[in-house]
Amino acid sequence: MDDYLVGVLSNIGIVSFIALSAWLLLLTGEISFGQQAFFAIGAYAAGIATALWGWPLGAALGWSAAIAGGAAVLVGVPTLRLHGLYFAIATLGFAEMVRLLFEQFHYRVMIDGELVGPNGSDGFRGIRYIFENDVGSLQFLALIYLLLAAALAGFMLLERSRLGVAFRMIGEDDTLAALNGLAVARLKILAAGLAGALAGLGGGLYAHLTTYVEPRVFDVMLGVHSLAYGLIGGLGTALGPLLGVVIDIGLLESVRAFAGYRMIVFGGLVAVLLIVRPRGLLDEALVHRIGRLFVRAPPAGP
Amino acid sequence: MTALRLAGALAAAAACLSAGAFAQVGAQAPQAQVKMRAKADVACRPTSTALHYDCTIRLTNARTGEPLGGVTLTVGADMPSMPMMHSVRPVAAPPEPESGSYRARLALEMHGDWALQLNLSGPLRDRVVAIVRFEPGRAESRPGG
Repeated sequence: MDDYLVGVLSNIGIVSFIALSAWLLLLTGEISFGQQAFFAIGAYAAGIATALWGWPLGAALGWSAAIAGGAAVLVGVPTLRLHGLYFAIATLGFAEMVRLLFEQFHYRVMIDGELVGPNGSDGFRGIRYIFENDVGSLQFLALIYLLLAAALAGFMLLERSRLGVAFRMIGEDDTLAALNGLAVARLKILAAGLAGALAGLGGGLYAHLTTYVEPRVFDVMLGVHSLAYGLIGGLGTALGPLLGVVIDIGLLESVRAFAGYRMIVFGGLVAVLLIVRPRGLLDEALVHRIGRLFVRAPPAGP
Repeated sequence: MTALRLAGALAAAAACLSAGAFAQVGAQAPQAQVKMRAKADVACRPTSTALHYDCTIRLTNARTGEPLGGVTLTVGADMPSMPMMHSVRPVAAPPEPESGSYRARLALEMHGDWALQLNLSGPLRDRVVAIVRFEPGRAESRPGG
């Protein structure tokens, strides 16, 4: 397979993690502009684990998901009492705070005659695990999609569970959900933790794919995109944000005519879709209609 | 409680899946610090075509400082401020007569800071990232890149 195609597919897979992360919070009715912060925490955590501490990749990715999920829970406790615009601004503020902290973060270790590690705004180079351990680009692509498939399978199970119904109830009307006996605050914190872990896992994969991260990578642009993918693709199914990612990175990347105007095209697409289909292409109504096609009609009565 | 049990079961399943998937590469971790690493110095200059730049890349062995010849080099690019959104298709960088020196012509989508991904294959498989600011009429590498 062409290296460029492998690169684009890898990007689609990795961005899907942060898109799913933002989508999970959208499901509970919260708009987060700050999922890039957990992506950043995951990227730095996993990079430090393999490049500086010599951890194996699997452990580093688990660590990146755990630390980002933990950070999301810590942030969720005070901020999830906020709603709507206030919550969105709080998440954006947190993400910028994290980015600025990484601008000041220096932790370098001499490895094989070379200083390796986060170096403030100069970034973190030398996350070479996949090259030093002969993990091929196709192998790494397979790992990305294996983990993405596991996440999607988790979401499919979630949709069929009481927890998934509870998340959607909270997203529709959290007061009504609380009146029905749901522990809204606790469930929102659980959603925030899972969303943070997903973003952190994506960040860990990203750091190892590119071998380099810097604070600028994790600015608001990434957060806005991750949110937009769910809004474009649709809130009806976990495949929605993936569709959003494929449209942006896959379709717009393959149509090189847009080139430098791509962000303008993407912004216009989001604006049009929000007017025409406020809950995205794969909204709940369409997912329900598609689902009915696969449900057997009940047997005719006597 | 059912909800929390389900979430726990999902997390455990994902962890098992990950552990199995990474067992092979994880087992190879101890040898990670003995492989040769590449270091790159990149100098780019504009061409007569807008947004096209000629880049000279000097590869050296990061440990010994010796020129690194005989590798196959491709150069791609991504914008750090818009990660994974603007990827430049990797172009081949053929070797120059001077050992360890390679040349590539990049066609960018816009001016600004770009992370050049130098992908080495052949005797050494590695990736070195160099940050270069491309402006109309000039290009400047960030120190340490």
